[in-house]
Amino acid sequence: MTATIDFARRFARNRAALAGFALLLVVIAFAITAPWLFPRPPLRIVGRPEVWPFLSWRFPLGTDSLGRDIAAMVAHGARTTLLIGLFASLTATLIGVTIGATAAYFGGWVDEALMRFTELFQTIPNLIFVLTIVLILGQKIAYITLAVGIVTWTPIARLTRAEFLTLRDREFVQACRSMGMGDVRIMLREILPNALPPVIVLASLVVAGAILFESAVSFLGLGDPDVSSWGRLIGDGRTLIRTSWYICAVPGIAIMLTVLALNLIGDGLNDALNPKLRDR
Amino acid sequence: MVRIVARRLAQIVPLVLGVIVINFILIHLAPGSLFDVMTAEQQITSPEMLEKLRHLYGVDQPAWVQLVDYIWSVLTLDLGFSYRQNAPVLDVILQQMPATLILMLAAIAIALIVGVTAGVIAAVRVNTIWDNLISLGAVFFFAAPSFWLGIMMTVLFAVKLGWLPVGGMREIGVDENALQATFDILRHLALPATALGLFYAATYARVMRASMLEVVRLDFVRTARAKGLSRTRVVIAHVLRNALLPVVTLLGLQLGTVLGGSVVIEAVFSWPGIGSLLFDSVMSRNYPVVLGVLVLGSLVVAVANASVDLLYMRLDPRVRLR
Amino acid sequence: MGPLSRRDFLATAAAGAAASTLPLTGAAAATPKRGGTLTASWGGFEPQALFVPPGGGSSPYFTSTKVLERLLKLTNDLKFEPVLATEVTPAQDFRSYKIKLRENASWHDGEPFTADDVVFSALEYWKPISGGISLNALTAVEAVDPHTVVLGFNAPVPEFFLRSVLAGRSTLVIPKHIYAGKNILTHPVNNAPIGTGPFKVKEWVRGSHVEYLRNEKYWDAPLPYVDRLVIRWWRDPASRSAAFEAGQLDIATFNPIPAPDIPRLTETKKFVADTRGFSNSAWVTTVEFNMRRDVTKNRAVRQALLHAIDRQFIADTVFFGRARPSIGAIHFSNSMFFSKDVPDYPFDPKQAAKLLDAAGYPVKGGSRFTVSLVSAGWFEENVKIGQYLKQALEDVDVTVNLTIPDRATSLKRIYTDYDFDIAVSNNAGTIELLPTTTVFYTTDGIVKGAAFRNATGFSDARVDDLVAKIAVETDDKKRVALVHAFNQLVTTEAPILPIVDLEPVTIARADVRNHSITADFMGESWADVWLDR
Repeated sequence: MTATIDFARRFARNRAALAGFALLLVVIAFAITAPWLFPRPPLRIVGRPEVWPFLSWRFPLGTDSLGRDIAAMVAHGARTTLLIGLFASLTATLIGVTIGATAAYFGGWVDEALMRFTELFQTIPNLIFVLTIVLILGQKIAYITLAVGIVTWTPIARLTRAEFLTLRDREFVQACRSMGMGDVRIMLREILPNALPPVIVLASLVVAGAILFESAVSFLGLGDPDVSSWGRLIGDGRTLIRTSWYICAVPGIAIMLTVLALNLIGDGLNDALNPKLRDR
Repeated sequence: MVRIVARRLAQIVPLVLGVIVINFILIHLAPGSLFDVMTAEQQITSPEMLEKLRHLYGVDQPAWVQLVDYIWSVLTLDLGFSYRQNAPVLDVILQQMPATLILMLAAIAIALIVGVTAGVIAAVRVNTIWDNLISLGAVFFFAAPSFWLGIMMTVLFAVKLGWLPVGGMREIGVDENALQATFDILRHLALPATALGLFYAATYARVMRASMLEVVRLDFVRTARAKGLSRTRVVIAHVLRNALLPVVTLLGLQLGTVLGGSVVIEAVFSWPGIGSLLFDSVMSRNYPVVLGVLVLGSLVVAVANASVDLLYMRLDPRVRLR
Repeated sequence: MGPLSRRDFLATAAAGAAASTLPLTGAAAATPKRGGTLTASWGGFEPQALFVPPGGGSSPYFTSTKVLERLLKLTNDLKFEPVLATEVTPAQDFRSYKIKLRENASWHDGEPFTADDVVFSALEYWKPISGGISLNALTAVEAVDPHTVVLGFNAPVPEFFLRSVLAGRSTLVIPKHIYAGKNILTHPVNNAPIGTGPFKVKEWVRGSHVEYLRNEKYWDAPLPYVDRLVIRWWRDPASRSAAFEAGQLDIATFNPIPAPDIPRLTETKKFVADTRGFSNSAWVTTVEFNMRRDVTKNRAVRQALLHAIDRQFIADTVFFGRARPSIGAIHFSNSMFFSKDVPDYPFDPKQAAKLLDAAGYPVKGGSRFTVSLVSAGWFEENVKIGQYLKQALEDVDVTVNLTIPDRATSLKRIYTDYDFDIAVSNNAGTIELLPTTTVFYTTDGIVKGAAFRNATGFSDARVDDLVAKIAVETDDKKRVALVHAFNQLVTTEAPILPIVDLEPVTIARADVRNHSITADFMGESWADVWLDR
């Protein structure tokens, strides 16, 4: 308990991280309250097309080329974005930790094979991989999330492996082994909890990366047409950058702020976990 | 040394094979084959013609036969024939590869120059306004989606200010001598390379800063200072070289993502490179070209990774490959 | 910079289009100047090859027609002019036609153009590969002498129809001495085609542009007027606008730039927007209903759903006024066959609801029934139309599952798997309805796996009958009457109908002359285009 309070205090001391956390809370707040603030389906055509932002209370952020409310799409898009970020990074973390842990713990040819496998996924250009998977499975939010998760697990695998390697040969592990504990139990109950903190830091960055991936996929036109997505808004607004460039600008700023928030939090987590690097 | 290099390079072969197999499977699982696309576009009506084409495109063979055929032809350095472009795959790729290479190199150059300089300045003037500004900038450019940055920069520099062209790689239909042509390409290169490179510049800046701050506190630096060397000399001769190591590693690891990033940037800026070729080919299920690009791309990345590893070994004598 | 109201915008767009016709009629009388480089583009992407024998879509059509020519061309006022054929004369029974060919034409490699080339093209290329069912009746092609060819048919062939085919997309004349004995589809010359046309391919830089040089030995010398023609491709419309403004682009066809940019360019008086030149390639956006599915095979349902669609909204908002709500099955620009005297489906959601109730689909638990809507994602506009249609149908309590697949998946789902209840697609029809329009309604138009034809599964003996009569009716007036009957019938049955007629526009610098004067300008050789600089 005190460790947690300590950790929180260290985190809070980093003002940038706090700002990031606050920003993320704002995004989450929008995501949660979107159905109340904007009860109509965000993809409904509700007004005149290409109304500029800040001109009317009805459409605070303006309307797009079809006449849809951008504020509604941005608010509902927050849900899409956060859900994708969360689940994609969960998928990536699950795959990455499993592979990294297994590789490090068993070593030898298992390690070799799994690391080659990791390298394979690292070599294929990520975006093309995601695009192909989305094409195969279909343009639904669930599949896009899965695709992004499948493609972004490699850094987590590497980090997990590195952490496991340092912990594997420590005394407490050898003690467990001499006690007759099974391998999996050791991995899950003893090593993993100690290896997790840096992995969590990385996972927060993976969330950010997943959000950027999804926005690129939607921008290229392969997103889910039933769902309001920030990336798709940017893509839609491309032909109108001369007259109505706000259609591109607004969702882009939203993506940037969210990813920014996650990065600041990630930094804060990192600093809080590694106090020796704290005095810079 | 030679043995280590050879071993490292040999590891590339199974990697490339794995890339081929995975992508072959993926492309074939995607709904709508190349055959469907081409026959639909060309409005083939007669069943005999459909059968002839099926045989011509090789889709009448079972999938595993097609895979084995393909692997064999790659080993004999034949990347196949693209019926969509009516030309050998290698030719199609090689024609568009230079554009992407130029873009990637320019982006990486911008990323290194801007990023490393920013990182050094931030570290040297740590905790001052400069440091804060640079860190803020780094974090912004890291967070902004590159395609969005590209569009916003286009709005500002091309549409509003009119300083730079909106897209494409060169002005066409105009005869230019070598100097004019170079300048023309550079003008067109400015926005896409910057849009692509700023993201990496941000990472290099942060890593460089952190790395320098860590190295500066190490013993050998203090020794150098104690010996009476000026601060600048210390920074350049000792700190910089060691601090660059993580950046070098990062660079190697990121080559793969730069190729992926170029797909989007090439789309935004109508840049005629293999990023757009790859995207078009995935969309039209043109698997010979997709596989060709990925095979070559993964080869380049694998070789680059190997080179980075070997370079790292030279730069830091403490590191040895297992 | 404030928002442009829809009405302001439409007013200026109309003014721009009207203004565009004025300088050109004056300039037609001026003496053409020789010289210069014409840089052109169109509203789509680079083709997969410069010449795609079976067709391949608009992009290779654009690039190949500068090099390869046809026997005739169709002007805006529906007159056929000679290109490689100087005379086309039907026999008394209309079962054979004598074609006299131009005598001084030659291929780019120096070989003379002769009747053998036409015989080869007709038998080895048009009939089996590119012509589709339009040349079903062709049985014999003979070279009577080096410059005369006789076409023989097994049924009477209307004159307008045959001339239309000979001036159409699928009858480019190809050189026998190059293609004979080889596989026409995969011949490497398709990447740098050799033809009789005014331009020769100089260089194709993939991903960027193709450059053509004047054919100094062109049969219509001193044409072409321009020294060099460059066709460039951009990936997005905003880049093309910028290219126009930067002086990097002279002319571009088929909606090259975003509609809001059009008045901005034309107001400077340096550019014109021309809507002529598309009547023989009349694009429409269509809605089709799968006749194999329970709900949509019910005619009353189809008609009801058509009432739920606000076509004016689509025309105004999605196409920025550059389209019109369709009337009947024929494009409004078709001066020969278009008629307003057909059943109409005005936007009336209440009427739609009533009709659906009457058809036996009342609202139960908030929904009448569920449909899968597939909107082919090859045009940005189809994305928006798909989303609008979903909303429009939901407004009459129909549940809609919307997918907007990419091109390859769309082609497969709509034309091979027939996996849709309602589909949004496009096609470009010629003035002659056979076969490009009729192939969507006849039973023999159903060919699984071939695109842009009857995918609904609609099969009605009355329609087949009418079309068969239209194919052999040689009297023009009777033909128009038959087509009218066809139009009324299919508009009533409504298996597939256009919802908007597109009005594509060509944007050109004001000093480009003689553009947009043929019925399919994009597919003409551009020999007579000149630069007034």
